[in-house]
Formats: sequence, structure tokens, C-alpha cells
Amino acid sequence: MTRAKTSAVRKASDSAPDIAWRWDDAPPDMDYVREALFRHIGKPVARKEDKRLLTGKGRFTDDFNLPGQTYAAMVRSPHPHARILGIDASAALAAPGVLAVLTGVDVLADGLGPIPHNPLPKTNFDMKLSAPGGGAPFIGPHLLLPADKVRHVGEAVAVVVAESAAQAMDAAELVDVDYEELDFVIDALDAASGSCPSVVWDEVPDNVFVETHFGDREATDAAFARAAHVVEASFHIDRVTGVPMEPRAALAAFDAESGKYTLYAGSGGAVRQKNELAEVLGIEPKSLRVLSFDVGGNFGTRNRTYVEFGLTLWASRRVGRPVKYTATRSEAFLTDYQGRDLHTTVALAMDAEGRFLAMRADNLSNVGARCVSLSPLSKGSGLITGSYDIPAATLRSRAVFTNTMCTQAYRSSGRPEVTYAIERLVEIAAKQIGMDPIELRRRNMIAPDRMPYRNAVGQVYDSGTYETNMDQAMALFDWDGFAARREEATARGMLLGRGLANYVESSIGSPRERAEITVLPDGRIEVVIGTQPSGQGHETSFAQVVADMLGVPVETVTIIIGDTDVVSVGGGSHSGRSMRHAGTVMAMASSELLAEARRRAAEHFDVALDRIERDGDQYRVAGTNHTVGLFELAALPSGPLAVARTNEMHTPVFPNGTAICEVEIDPELCHVEITRYATIDDVGRCINPMIVHGQTHGGIAQGVGQAMWELCVTDPDSGQPLAGSFMDYGMPRADNLPSFDAEIAEVISPTNPLGIKAGGEGGTTPALATVTLAVLDALAPLGVTDIKMPLTPNTIWRAIGEARQQEKGVME
Amino acid sequence: MQDVTLTVNGKTETRRVEGRTLLVQFLREHLGLTGTHVGCDTSQCGACTVILGGRAVKSCTILASAAAARGEVLTIEGLGDEEALSPMQEAFHRHHALQCGFCTPGMVMAAHNMVQRHEGELTEAIVRRELEGNLCRCTGYHNIVKAVLAAAEAHRAVASAPAGQD
Ligand code: FES
Ligand code: FES
Repeated sequence: MTRAKTSAVRKASDSAPDIAWRWDDAPPDMDYVREALFRHIGKPVARKEDKRLLTGKGRFTDDFNLPGQTYAAMVRSPHPHARILGIDASAALAAPGVLAVLTGVDVLADGLGPIPHNPLPKTNFDMKLSAPGGGAPFIGPHLLLPADKVRHVGEAVAVVVAESAAQAMDAAELVDVDYEELDFVIDALDAASGSCPSVVWDEVPDNVFVETHFGDREATDAAFARAAHVVEASFHIDRVTGVPMEPRAALAAFDAESGKYTLYAGSGGAVRQKNELAEVLGIEPKSLRVLSFDVGGNFGTRNRTYVEFGLTLWASRRVGRPVKYTATRSEAFLTDYQGRDLHTTVALAMDAEGRFLAMRADNLSNVGARCVSLSPLSKGSGLITGSYDIPAATLRSRAVFTNTMCTQAYRSSGRPEVTYAIERLVEIAAKQIGMDPIELRRRNMIAPDRMPYRNAVGQVYDSGTYETNMDQAMALFDWDGFAARREEATARGMLLGRGLANYVESSIGSPRERAEITVLPDGRIEVVIGTQPSGQGHETSFAQVVADMLGVPVETVTIIIGDTDVVSVGGGSHSGRSMRHAGTVMAMASSELLAEARRRAAEHFDVALDRIERDGDQYRVAGTNHTVGLFELAALPSGPLAVARTNEMHTPVFPNGTAICEVEIDPELCHVEITRYATIDDVGRCINPMIVHGQTHGGIAQGVGQAMWELCVTDPDSGQPLAGSFMDYGMPRADNLPSFDAEIAEVISPTNPLGIKAGGEGGTTPALATVTLAVLDALAPLGVTDIKMPLTPNTIWRAIGEARQQEKGVME
Repeated sequence: MQDVTLTVNGKTETRRVEGRTLLVQFLREHLGLTGTHVGCDTSQCGACTVILGGRAVKSCTILASAAAARGEVLTIEGLGDEEALSPMQEAFHRHHALQCGFCTPGMVMAAHNMVQRHEGELTEAIVRRELEGNLCRCTGYHNIVKAVLAAAEAHRAVASAPAGQD
């Protein structure tokens, strides 16, 4: 592919990377904190949040109601691409209970701005993406309702507000929208072909709005030129959606007297929602309070702002009453931010002994109708070489608009895609050169003494023992017992296969986090923090960290999250950032608090500071029996014992590991059963193994789900999404998954004081590859060499049929 | 509009509702029992599972007016409270069988009913098969299955304990 475009070329420099966290720069008494580690940390403390959730006392968004509330329903586009010629709302307005019908024209008339999505990852270490030819990419403004045209099926074109939810829904059916249908495009390759009749945005006539080249072209070309072997393959990691079990919901109220808005809306971070929605409404952030308590799953889908949140806020001002909106599952399937959808072509150059010399990759990300996030493309771009030492690489990263729902960072954003590509390519390479695929991996995995390791596109892996992971995973899986198991399966007429994948991923995430810690005289400690859990158990694991630092029982610590009137700064929860960022800033705040407590104790006893010794939460004058407790210090007249600390931390960490899957396939029914799944995940320091294991299990299920059943299918002829309910979107269920053998490896990261990497996403990252490779291994005796996810019975049946056909062709 | 009378968690309640009101709407919107959740519109996720007349049912598939004839309703709020969790709630807590907690009430009600119906005689295969209609996106089911089996074992232990020994 040659395109006459100049693009920014970035080269990785060779200088030895310095990524270490420095204790010297740490605040006072950080040594205390270091020593205090790790009384509660590392223990499977049962979760504080469980009891309310188990007894029906959870506070999910739809559980809230306000007096006099009204209900919103959306009018959604049935077309993938159409001009809006006019909207006639008269019949809807005349329907019972209807209070208002608002359209894109009203949005413009009221001066509402687009959602400021800010899709470019922005830490110093993120891969920097730019427009073709350089500069900031055009992202497609995301207004609450479009006035010009609809760009995907399901896009909201009008909102109806009525006295009851049923009346709003009934009236939404009566809104008459006059559309002029336009050419549409669904697949990224078609959209980027250069001759696509559908132009999603006039500003980007060829639909490609990001094109950046990374790596060292000369070195890569040279390596390919002298290579003994070259393999190349193309893959499409298809579109899936996050499916958090709680459909998204919003409850908005406007108080005309104070001019203040309130929004109840579960999300991945209330602070971000507040700032972005304030900008949409054209108000000061302080005039908007966002509340996000219990959140029924996120997986990335909730980290970006939804139009419905802005619409309920705006409508509540227009109708002068609170407005509630709860998405149906069908709406969630159509318009939750979706995930993946990457086309990738990869090539690998090897010497005669199978040593990897260089890699070329070409990635094309389908962002949908607007660009909400480039994180999947950016994350994946940095990790194209995977767990392997590949000295040279080049990569072209492009992103393209299509007439589909927007994509966002979905569970382990970008990494499962590239892991799938490299691990499948490694297997193809092994086959081509006739080497055992495990041996080929061993030969090329990054050795521990190379850490920190700068990969060919410039990412610096912090630490890890990759080959040990693989050995441990193989032992856990009983790799050597496979032959006997296969024999047994064959005797029953079944096909058994196994697939192994190594992975490395990155956790970067929003760099700033703030913690406020207050010691209350009544024996409680309150911690305000800006992350937003949706099942990750922060109320427990964060309390463990603070309890350790301050030397108090974990029950005394309460974590406060999710109310922007209390929480002022916070990066939210995404990209596995929470424990590392929050843990670090909580450690810093704790150390400041300890210093202050010591100062007060000295003042209290009127002795020099260095005479105060600390033992747990007690402060003693050395050599005496004069002691004062932390909570007593908080009761002294010197005012509240509290600290607030903000920290910025850019250095990424690289969780890594190995997963192995075994499948049994019935060649007649083409049913695939997962019989075994083992995984080793290096998460760095593990604060609560029970929680981390739980995250891993869920992560595996999501990765396996994409490999086996999940797919956002769109009909190519009509552009209609066909997966609109649990009847047509295959989900991981209790009866189609096995129990997992998951173990944690703790290689402490040098980049942050707690040594944390991240947990959970590692379950997802290798799973697409392990399951696909296991299925290919099982089907190999039938001559199947390639297959596309999801691995449904239909896919298997077709693959077997095609292989038979080919065999026949060869024989004839 | 019509009057619907239901006995929920041992309390008899009457509300005037639209004929199309589903049992789950009656519980959430009219009785304020928001522990029962709605996760879909095709009766497939099980987040709305309650026990009606001794059977676990999806409360989004039955009209409130039709429920009265089927017996009493037990919801998550009636199973145990924060001070005294029921054995199944306790097993979920101990085995970390919940993360976000959205599927949890439905999962717990289905599991509670399953243990009762099978009198604690459960295997992993039965548990997995019978929970097929309860979706969870967070846990990968691993710890849910563990919790249900543990609760079943506890149930058997209690059932087989000689009388008078409690
Ligand atoms: S809400 Fe009843 S099954 Fe989903
Ligand atoms: S715990 Fe979140 S859906 Fe089950």
C-alpha cells in the first residue's frame, strides 16, 4: 500500500531508560510507610462493600428517585447514514403526559457544545498519534443530538420527556423524522479504501483521520532483507461490546434558585463527567454535582461521557423538573461505547535459527462515527512486539470513521488485539520453519536481565520474568499430561487441542490523583479519592493500604468516592490505573499525616520531635510511658488532623504473564468445550489476592467470550446491527465456562513505591489467542489452518468443510 | 388502573397500578424494593430473579396482577440483613462471589432456591447448568459456583445433623 502522504516518523532512542521511583524525593516519614508495609496488604481481606450489595441495599443509579421526576425516552436513527431533512414532533407533543420533545435544532439554539472527548492519550509515555501529515486529528464533534445527519444506527435524534417512562416511550414512536438516506460504510478496510462512497465527515474526505508511523524503517528493512525466513498474516479482531450488567442510567435535576445541576449517573469517574458535561452545558464545573455510587460493571464502556447524561441535565432545566433515563438492554447493545475492531497485518523476519530480527505491522482501528478514544490504537501500537525481543520494528497506525457506534477502550484496550496478532504469527512461524512453538518462544522471550527493556517502538517494560511465567503456567496446566488426555479424548471420538499465549500489557492511565485523609476524633478515618470502582473492591483494598500506613485496624477506614462535591480531582478507574495511582498518593498522604501526628505528639508532651516514637497508632515519648493515640491527637484543640495530597505519575507499568487453554471439540456437532484454563499473571505487588483473582476470572471470561461467542454483527447490505439482545449476542454463561487455574506472580515494579503493576486485564489480554490457538490445534488433524473468531459451532463446521473441500481439490 | 395485592417478604401490600405493570416494576417502583434489578428486556439475564410461591422466577416476565395467584414473593431484602446474612449471602461474601453486585441479588435468589430444591445435593455441573439463566459479567462465575457449592454443603451438614443438636 503506498499512499502519497507524509507522516510523522518517531524513532525509539537507545538511551538506557530510567524509570525507578525515588524514595529520596518522597515526603517526610515515607520510611515509616515503607516499614509499615505490609500488615494488611497482601491478605485476602473480605470486602467491605459486600454486605449492602448482598442485601439489596446497593445504590445503583436507577435506584434513585426525586420528587416530581419525569422520564426521558430517545428517538433513535433506524439508518446507518442519513441526512435529517426535518422532524415533526406535533403528534408526540399531543400524546398523553408529554412535556417536551427536543431535537438537534434546539441543541444548537440553546448553544450546547459538543462533548469534549479528548481522545488522545496524554501522558508523556503514551504513543503519540497524529493526523495524516501531522497535527491534531479531527475527531468529529459529538453534539448531544445531531442537527445535520445521523451517522450510525441508534444515534439519538430527539428526546421525549413525559410524566411516565411508558408515556415517553409511546410518544417517542410518534416523532416523525424525515430522512434522506446516504451511502454508508461499516468495515474499516472499506472506509479506508480511498474510494469509499460514504464520507462520514466532510472534513475528512477519505475517512482516515489518524496516520502515524513508528519505529526504525531502515533497520527494519535491512533486517527483512537479510532474513532467512519471513512470515506474514492479516487478522481482523472484530467488534464486541462491554455489556456491563447494569444498563446505563441518569437522573438529572436543575435547581432554578441556585442555578445548580445535580446528576446521578454511574460512570468510571464522576470528576471527568462533571468537567465534560459542564463544558457541554456552558456552565462552571462547580455548578454541577455528579454522583456515582454503586456501578454495575464498566469494562471501559462507562469511562466516556454519554449524550443521554447531557440530555437529561438539559431537559431538566427545560421542563423545570427532574428527568430520569434508563437505557433498555437493546439500547445498550446499540449505543454503549463498543470495543476492539482492529484490522492488523503483521510480518516477522527471522534468522536461520528462528531468532526474531524485525517486525512490520499495519494497524487500522475502526472508531465508529466519531472519535471518542484513541487509547486502543495507541496502547496496541506500543506493544506490537509483545513479550519478545525484536530489535527492529515499524508500525503504521491508522484510525478511520465508519457508520457504526463509536468504539472506546474496552477491557484491556488494544492489548488483546496485538497479543492475538503476535501469538498467532509466532505459531505460523514455528510451523513454517518446523520448530516447536514453545521452543521458538523461549528463544525469543525478553530475558529478566534485559529489564528495564526498551522495545522497538520505544516502550520501556519495567520488570518481569517472562520465561518463568511460561514455565509456571505450563506446570499449572499439566502441559506434559496433554498427550495422554488427547489420546483419551480421541478414543471417545473427540478432538483435543491446546493453545498458549504470552502477553505483556501496559497500564498507563490518567496521571493525576488526589487523596484526602482525615482522622476523626471518634475513631474513624475518612479517605476521599477520585477513582471510581465498579466491582473492583476499592473500598476494601484502599482501606487496607491506608490502615497499613497509619497502623490502625482496617475497619476504621472508610473510603469516600463518587460525589464531586466531596471529590475534587480524580482520574477515575481505567487502564488498570486505580490501585497504582491511588495507592501511591494514599501512601504519600499517609506519610504526611504521620509526620503531622508526630509533630503534634511532640507539641502535646512538649518534647523535641526526635523523642517521639511510634508504635502502631500510639505515639510515645522515648524512654517514658507517656503515650498518646492517633485518634486522641485528632481531638486536640489544634484543629482537625487531616492532609490532602495530589500526585502526578506518568511512568507506565507492564503487567505480563502466560495463559493456556485446552478445548475439546465434537467433530460432528462442532461444539467447543473449554476443558482447562491456566494462567500466571505478574501483577506486581498484590494488595488483595482474593480481589485480584476475582478480577482475573472475570477478565478471562471476557476474553474467552470474544473468542467463542461475542460479536456485534452488522448486516453488510442494510447496515443494521443484528446483535440487539441477549438472544443474539452470545455471552459467557455459567454452563459454558470451566473453573480456572489462576495464579499470581509478584515481580515488584520499580516504578512506584508500592511496587504495583495492575491486575485483571491480564485475564483478557491473552485469552483471544489461547482459545483460537487451542481450537486450531484441535482441528489441525482435519487440515484446518486458519479460523476467525467467534468460534461458534457454525464457524467450526464451515472450517472443517472448507478443509475437506481443499483436501479433495488437492487429491483430484 | 387496578388494585394489586401481594405478600412480599411476609408483608401484604396493596397498590393501584397500571395493568401493564410487571412484577419487577411493582417491587422496585411501587414498593421501593430496589434490590431486585433489571438487566435486560428479553427475560434472559436473571438480575430480576425473586422467589414466587417457592420457585425462582424472573420477575420481569410476569405481570404484577398475575403474580398474586402464584403465592408469596420473597426478594433479596427478605432473605437476610446486613447484621444476619442468610447462609447463601454469607457464602457469596466469603468466597468473593460478587464484584459490582448488580447480578448478585438475582444470583443469590436463584442459588438459594436451587439449594432448597435439591436439598443441598449439588455438583458443579448442576450448579453451572441451573445458573445458565443468570448472567454475570464480572466474576467469570468461578467464585459464584464455589460459593453455591459451599452453601449446599453447609445445607447438607445442617440437614443431616441429629435432631435437637443446634
Ligand atoms: S430483567 Fe428479568 S431476566 Fe433480565
Ligand atoms: S458481579 Fe457484576 S455482574 Fe455479577
